[in-house]
Order: sequence, then structure tokens, then C-alpha cells
Amino acid sequence: MKQKIENLLKQFETKKEAAKTIADAEAIRLEFMGKKGYINELMAEFRNVAPENKKEMGMLINSLKTSIETGLGELIQAKKDEELENQLKNDKRIDYTLPVNQTIGALHPRTILQKQIIDAFVSMGFTIEDGNEIETEYNNFDSVNVPESHPARDMQDTFWLDNGEVLKTQTSAAQNRILKTHGPICRVLFPGRCFRNEELDATHENTFFQIEGVVVDKNVSVSNLIYFMKEMLKGVFKKDVNVRLRPGFFPFTEPSFELDTTCPLCGGKGCSACSHTGWIELCPCGMIHPNVLKEAGIDSKEYNGFAFGLGFDRLVMIKTGLDDIRRLNGGNVKLLSQFGTKI
Amino acid sequence: MKISINWIKEFVNLDGIEPEEIVKRFNLATAEIEGVEYKGKDTYNVVFGKIIEVQNHPESNKLHILKVDVKSEVLQIVCGAPNVRANMVTCVAKVGGAVCGHKIGAAKLAGIDSFGMCCSAKELDIGEDDEGIMDITENVPLGEDIKNVFNIDDVVFEIDNKTLTNRPDLWGHYGMAREIAVIFGRKLKDIKKVSLTDFDLLPKLDVKVESKNCYRYSAIAIDNVTVKKSPMNMAIRLYYAGMRDINLLADVTNYIMLELGQPMHAFDHEIVKGIKVVDAKKGDKLLTLEGEEHELSENTLVIADNKGVPVAIGGIKGGMKASISEQTTNVLVESATFDSVSVRKASRTIGLSTDASARYEKSLDPELVPVATARFIEILKSIDKGIKVSSKFTDVYTKKYALPKIKITADFISSRIGENISESEIIKVLAGLGFDVTKNGKNIEVVVPSFRATKDVSMEEDLVEEIARIYGYDNITPKPLAFEPKPTFLNTAIGEEYEVKKYLAEKYNGVEIHSYIWNYQDFNASHFIDSKSYIKLMDSSNAGQSGIRSELAPTLLKVISENRNTLSEMRVFEIGRVATGIDENNLAIEKKKLAVVFASQTKDTYTLFDTLKEFIVSYAKTNLALDIVLKEGDKPSYMHPYNTFRVTSREGDYGYIGILNPKVSKSIDKRLNIVVLEIDFGLMSSKHGYFKKVKVPYKYQSTNLDVSVLVPENMNYGALEQILNKYRSKIMVGYVLKDIYQSEALQGKKSITVSYELSGKDHTLEGSEIDEFLSGLISHIEKNKLEIRKN
Repeated sequence: MKQKIENLLKQFETKKEAAKTIADAEAIRLEFMGKKGYINELMAEFRNVAPENKKEMGMLINSLKTSIETGLGELIQAKKDEELENQLKNDKRIDYTLPVNQTIGALHPRTILQKQIIDAFVSMGFTIEDGNEIETEYNNFDSVNVPESHPARDMQDTFWLDNGEVLKTQTSAAQNRILKTHGPICRVLFPGRCFRNEELDATHENTFFQIEGVVVDKNVSVSNLIYFMKEMLKGVFKKDVNVRLRPGFFPFTEPSFELDTTCPLCGGKGCSACSHTGWIELCPCGMIHPNVLKEAGIDSKEYNGFAFGLGFDRLVMIKTGLDDIRRLNGGNVKLLSQFGTKI
Repeated sequence: MKISINWIKEFVNLDGIEPEEIVKRFNLATAEIEGVEYKGKDTYNVVFGKIIEVQNHPESNKLHILKVDVKSEVLQIVCGAPNVRANMVTCVAKVGGAVCGHKIGAAKLAGIDSFGMCCSAKELDIGEDDEGIMDITENVPLGEDIKNVFNIDDVVFEIDNKTLTNRPDLWGHYGMAREIAVIFGRKLKDIKKVSLTDFDLLPKLDVKVESKNCYRYSAIAIDNVTVKKSPMNMAIRLYYAGMRDINLLADVTNYIMLELGQPMHAFDHEIVKGIKVVDAKKGDKLLTLEGEEHELSENTLVIADNKGVPVAIGGIKGGMKASISEQTTNVLVESATFDSVSVRKASRTIGLSTDASARYEKSLDPELVPVATARFIEILKSIDKGIKVSSKFTDVYTKKYALPKIKITADFISSRIGENISESEIIKVLAGLGFDVTKNGKNIEVVVPSFRATKDVSMEEDLVEEIARIYGYDNITPKPLAFEPKPTFLNTAIGEEYEVKKYLAEKYNGVEIHSYIWNYQDFNASHFIDSKSYIKLMDSSNAGQSGIRSELAPTLLKVISENRNTLSEMRVFEIGRVATGIDENNLAIEKKKLAVVFASQTKDTYTLFDTLKEFIVSYAKTNLALDIVLKEGDKPSYMHPYNTFRVTSREGDYGYIGILNPKVSKSIDKRLNIVVLEIDFGLMSSKHGYFKKVKVPYKYQSTNLDVSVLVPENMNYGALEQILNKYRSKIMVGYVLKDIYQSEALQGKKSITVSYELSGKDHTLEGSEIDEFLSGLISHIEKNKLEIRKN
């Protein structure tokens, strides 16, 4: 009997090796473990084993049973894995190189850049304000110290309207209202669309965007303005920039400055965007004129501050590489749709 | 404006200062230098030579063979200039020399050897004349390098005029010299000039000022002017400064203008016996020096002779009639100050802008008037020794500016600049700039000089600028502002603008447009779009349109029309301003609108409408918590009369959504289906709905029950909703629209299926409860004259 058990184990191992499919494994199971299988056959013979050998034979049979069960388990699992593997191999393959439908619309480049600039200013503690496009003569001129005789007030420079108002010629038109609402201690940024009665060409538009900011506080100095402008432009360009001030002249400010920044494209080495000077003129600014503060009800002896404008459309043109400002106001959908939602 | 360094050097010693250094410092302290020209740099070995023989060239009609004496030798030169003649003195570039970078070598011209080149003024870049070679009448040594006689080597700065608008004192070399002197801490020399009091005993001229726009008018008579042509060095200087030489008298007036910034004019005294300054009368005309006739508008200043005949446009241009001619020997010289605004307006109206008007527009200092005249006589006399002043300096001075007195302290200046600046430094800078400065205890008392007092400097802040810019903006250390912790809020209107644009671009493939604010009357009219303009432009020549738009959608329709040949599918949007009327104070009623237009050749209007509706409803819900309800109501006539609806919520009525009237869409493009949304975005973004209180869902499993109701085909879902909303039950969680089915088999009806969610609060629902709910619902529906569709 002992010999038979050993033979059965050998026989099982051989069949197991030969099994190819789950069905083969099932057949082996029936052959050995089934009702009429070898194990049961053995059990029947076991009854006739001499009592003194029963213990030894019992253990041998049990061990054989366990070996076969474990072996079968392994066999079936292996065959299942094999089958799954075969099935996966035959699955339809994905063409992961296919393009996907990426149709999205597009924000106007001004909108994208304006958002970036607003974010930079909000992070610097600024409140953002909105303004009208049609303004009174008072808001647009008188309240910001543009005298009656100033050329800007001529019909040739300003779009005067038949109700006596104007299409605002600069964002400063909102200063008086903003200083009255937020002053005397405030930091406000106000983007807006402005208009000039000019003929159109590649660099002149009668409709353009500006972004203006005011800071009013106590004891504000020119050195504060320089510090601020530098930090602010760092926020806008997301890198360190150098700035330099040159004298400027605007009615709203005294002293007034033209602020140049190192060209963001060439980093100051000189390129076509900066006419090979390494600098771009970007930011007219200055200390707010006492008359402007007074007109807004702010005591100019106690408070002072600075105001600045960003040549926003110029910045948009630099960022987008557009060389004709008229494109920004033109409704060329094919062109505009290329901007997506980030620049 | 062009500034010659040689000229500046007459007034400031610039030894040891490189032009590049001047450019750098001047840019940062005063005004923008746009360009630098190094005159004469690439010209050398050019000498004076005398043509001693002229022979015709055997091979050419134009060329001549010259023998030119340059003292050390006689050169054979082949020359093509038409004006060659024997005994003519000219400029000769020798072999090995160069003329503005062109190297001169020995050459063969049409077979004849040529050793050098005779030069024109244009070739040497010292004058405009390119008609022939230089014809020098002055006494010059033959063989001498021309640079030893003519001031050809110079550095010329081109200054951006725009940066000088508020500095009338910088419109001449002397003012520039003053700036440069202060910047480099050098001394400014006085101007050499005659004393006008020397002529006090001579007879007065007849000068009358009858216009308030003339602040000062002076005239002086000078006889016996015999020299006609300016010396070469003066011509070169004028040329470098951007003008050309005309005749001695005109040249000296221009010279004074370029030097002092004071325009002058010389009249032929035989023609103009006296002066009357008046405002032009309607119909007055003047023929200018150039022979152009200009009609003068009222308020234009006219210089007339004492009989009232106009001889010049005040501050702008002289007339032909009294101009200097070959015969003129006696002149009447004007030096005057006119009102800046009046000159500017006249110059614009007439369409004539001159070097004189550009200066008068800046508000010139009337105190310059006698200085200019005295300098004029000085210069003229140095060239034409025989001149004789024959009248008193006759001066009518009607408007004198007050000289502002300003008190500052070093503390004030330091705190405004943010740097410690000493009293002595302040005084040095201001005095250098011509301010009269007195120390009085801690106070510094400053009197503004007349040349800065016409509009430029009047208060403390102006002095802050003067000191800061000379101190050097680049010497100021940037310092942070004190930190003020204060919450900031993004203006909701601006923030929402970005949100809605992003929503449209990202979720609905919208492309944002920026269009003009004009009302496109012609486009609208030709496409059956009736859109009003309540506000008109006073001058519409540059805009090309006459008024401001009152609606935004028509502009986008124009965009659709412009792009229809390149795109078959367009989704465009804009947030823009419109004026919807005028209020009781005559002020514009301005609105910020959002317009969205979808146009497609492939999708039908109903599909487009559904998408557009989905946009506005989902956006308003997501971002503003507003529940949008479409309602019947007003719509523009260019929209579909039945398929256009009001966009509303409980909080307000914002605008409309609908299908474009087919009449309009057909006229734009037959192939396009177009839907439009226009809402008052300023209004909508100012509203904010509230999110409903949340309900904790029941934990017992809920049951879905579909019910189909047959309703008349033309009945809106909303009407059924109103009926269904009246049926209430404790086990009802809610219902949603599942399906709308239409078929001929339903005979004029449609079937609307809604799906109810039913659930018990504290137990799983029993079949009987559901049956009870359903039978109640059926009888409610039947009570409302509708029936349940049985499958």
C-alpha cells in the first residue's frame, strides 16, 4: 500500500505537469479526489490494513491528500492566471497617441493679463475698483487738475459727447470718486477702458486699456514710490526687474515721473521690443498733486501719496507678440480664439 | 528738438565730460534724449581748394576735368557738379580722406584719372544743398583742413519734444545749457548782448496792442543791413539744429529762437511802418512766406501794419508781403509774447504748426523779449558791422506774470523725497537753476525766476521735483511703506466679470471679443437691426461712427458677419459698456452688459438655444446662487418675436435670451442659425441668491416612481410643473423631469414623464403607501383636466 501511495503521488505530479487548462485541472481533481477517485479507492483499501500499520498508513494517506489538494489549488490558480493573462493580451489595445478634443474658447489676452495683474495687487493689499467709460467733464478733467486751457481738453484729443460728458481719456477720471470713497488712507487699483480722439494706426488706438493705482497715506515719499513700483513690477512680471525714474509731466501728479523697467523680453540686453535700449517705458507715475487730494476732500498737508498708470495694452502686445494694437479691438475670431485661457 | 554741444559749450565749460555722460544724466534729470549724432566724425582730410582750370570731359557732357589748387599741390579732379567754374573756392576731399564715412581714393572716371572729390554741403552733411559743390565766398586759406575753419565736429542730441511740454525755458540752447550746468555743477556764462538802453534816445516806433492775447510786443528798427548771406558757421549751426539757412536776417531770427527759445520776426521796414496787434476778423486772409494762403478764424492773433493790413499770423508765421527780400536793408524786428492757448488753437484751426508756434504753445517768458532783441543786435552786428539801430526799443508790456514766492524747509524736502538732503545742497541746486533763494532761520524762501513762472513752478511740490531730479532719482534709496494690516476685497463686479468669462470660454468654447463702443448705424440698418443711440459724438471723424451704442448684441452680430466666411461655427461673447439713455441731470445712463452669440451652420436654433440657456442658468446658479427663470416679456425687434424670453430670477430682470429674428440672421448669412443672450451684467453680478437649507437625506431606501402625463402639445412644462407642485405628500422627496415624448399616435398631445423620489422618514415604504401616493396624484392630475398616460 505504501508503494501505491507513493505511486499515486508521482502519478499526480506527472498529470499536474501535463495539465494545460482549467478543464484538465478539473479532470485531475475528479480522478484523484472524486467519489470514485483514487483517494476514495485508497480509503476503501485502508479499512483492510492491519491495525498495527493503520497509524502509519493513515498518516501517509492524509499527507498524500494534503499534497494533492494543495497541488490542485496551485494548479487551478496558475491556470486561471494564465487564462486571464491570455485574455488581457488579446484585449483591444488603446491608441494612446490619438489626439483628444481640446476645443476650448478663449479669453481676450487683456482679460488674462488683467487678472494676473489684479492678483498681484490684491496680494499687495489693494482694493480693486471699477469705473464708468462715460464721465463728466469734472471727473475727467477738473477734479484731477487738468486746467481749462490744457490741450487734452481740445475737441481734437477728446471724444466730447453731445450731453456735455466725455468718453474718459484716462483712468484718472475715476480718481476723485475713488479717493472720496476710500481715502484718505487707501490702496486702490482701477483698470479701465479709455478713449482718445485720434486716427488709428499700428501703435495708436482711439480705444485702449489702462490700469491705474493710487496709494494715499501719511508721509509718503519718492523713495516709497520707487520701492513700491519695483516690488509691484516684480509681482506683474514674476521676476526681479530694475526700474529707473525719469522726469515726466502729468497734471495729476507733482513731481511726475516716467518709469522705465528693464525690458522683460531681453532682460536689459536690448532687443526689438525695447528699441535696443534695454528699457521699456511702462509706467507713468508721480506723487499725487495736492489739488487732486484737495478736490477729493483730503487734507494735502496731512496726507499725500502716489499714483501710477500701467501702459496695459503695451504690456499685452509684448506678452502676446502682437505688433498692431488694432488687433486687440478687432473681432478676428480665428486670431482671438488662439489665446485660450492663459498666456 | 536738436541740441548742439558746440552751442552749449558757448555757455558752459564741459571740459572732461563725455557726451555719453551728458545723455545719461540729462535723461534722468531733465528730458529724454532720443538720439545722438556724432557730426563730422567720419569726415577727414578735406581741405579748401581753388579751381584754377575747368575742362570739358571728352567722354561726358556732365563731367568736367578740374585743376584744383590745394596749396601744396594742384590736383586733377573729375567732377560732375553743374556749378563748377574757374576761381571757385570749394571743399576738396583728398585721396586718403573720407566724407561721412566714404573713403576717397584715386579713381578713373570715364577714362580720366581723378585724385580727390569736390564736395557739396549735403555730401559733407553740413547743409541741405546738393545742387552743386560748395561755393565758398568767405575768405579761407587754401589747403587748410576745413575743420579748422568750419565747426563741423559736433555732437547733436535729438530731444523728445513731448518731454519738454512743461518747460518753456528748455526750448533753446541757453536753457539747456543752464540744466546741464546744474547737473554737472558747472557755471553758466552770461549771454553776450548789447544794451538796449543805448537806443533810448532814438525815436519810438508806432506799436499798438489791441488783443488781450498779446502779452508783450516789442519792435526795434535796424537800418543798413547789407550782408545777405550768413557765414558758414552759422549756417552749419542752424542745419545741425534742424533748420536751413535762408538769408542773414531770417537766419539770425532763427538763431536767436534756437538759442534763447524766443521766436523773432524781421519785417521789411519799408513796407511795415508800424505795428498793430489785433484779433483776426472773419474773412481775414494771409499769404505766408511759402506762398500758401490761409483763411484766419476769429480769435487768431494777427500782426498788422499800422494801416491794419495783416502781415503775419501772431506767433505762427510771417506773411509774404512784408518779408525780407534781396533789396531789404531796413528792418523792423519783432520780439513778442503771445497767449499760449490762443496760439495753440489758432495753429490747430489753420493747420499750420511751426517752430515758433511750438514754442509759444508752451507759455513763453515775456522777460525774454528784450533779451532776445539785445542778443539779435549783438549777433547781427558781429556779422554785418555797418548796421545801424534807428529806433528806440519800443515795448508794449500788458501782462506781467507774478513771480511766485515759495517757503520750504530742508525737513519738508527730505521727507517728501525720502532722503536726507541738506539745506546747503537745496540752496545750491535751486540757485543753479536760477531761483532766487534766501535763508530765513529754518525756512528757505524761494522766488521763482520768470522763465519758470509762466506755468511750471508755483508750489512746494514743484520744488521737491527740482531738487529730487538734480539730486538724482537714481541716488534715492527705495524704502518700503509702513505696513497697514487691512483686509482687502476684490470688487465683486470685477471678480465676477472674470468668472463668467472663464465659464464661457472653458465650458462653452466662447471666444471673448473687445469691440468698440460705437453704434454701427450702417451695419445695423442694412441688417434690420433697430438699435438706438442716445448719445452722439461731437466730432466723429476718427471714430467713423456718430454715436454710442445702447446695446451690446448688435456689435457681436457684426463680428459674426465679419467672420462668417472663415468659420462655420462661432461662439463669441463680450462684457462691454453701453449707454441706455440720459437721466434727468443730462448724464449718460451707463450699463455694463454681457452679450453672448452662438452661430452655427450645423446645429439648429433649438439646440443652440438650449445650450445658451444651460449656460446662463448654470452660471447664475454656480456663481451667484441665482435661480434663473425665463419669462415672456419685452424683446428687441431684431429677435424672434415668440422664441425670445426674459432672463429673470426672484432678485431681478436681467435681459433677454432667444433666437435671432430669421430676417436678421438671413441677412447676415443664410447658412447660419443664431441665438443671442444679452443681460445687464452689472445688475446680475450685484445680486446674490441664497443657497437653500440642506435636508439630511432619509436613511431608508427610497423608491423611484415614473409618472407620464398627457398634456396638449402647446402646453409648457412650466404649466404642468405648477399643477404638480400643488400635490403634496409626506413621502415625496421630490421629482425631476425625465422625458418628453411626442408622437402622431398621441393625437395632438405630448407625454411628459416625471420621476418621483419617494421615501419614508423612519421606515422603508410599504407597497400600500406608494399605491396611495399614486392614486392621490392621479386624481389630482385628473382634477386639473389632464390624464395619465397608460402604457
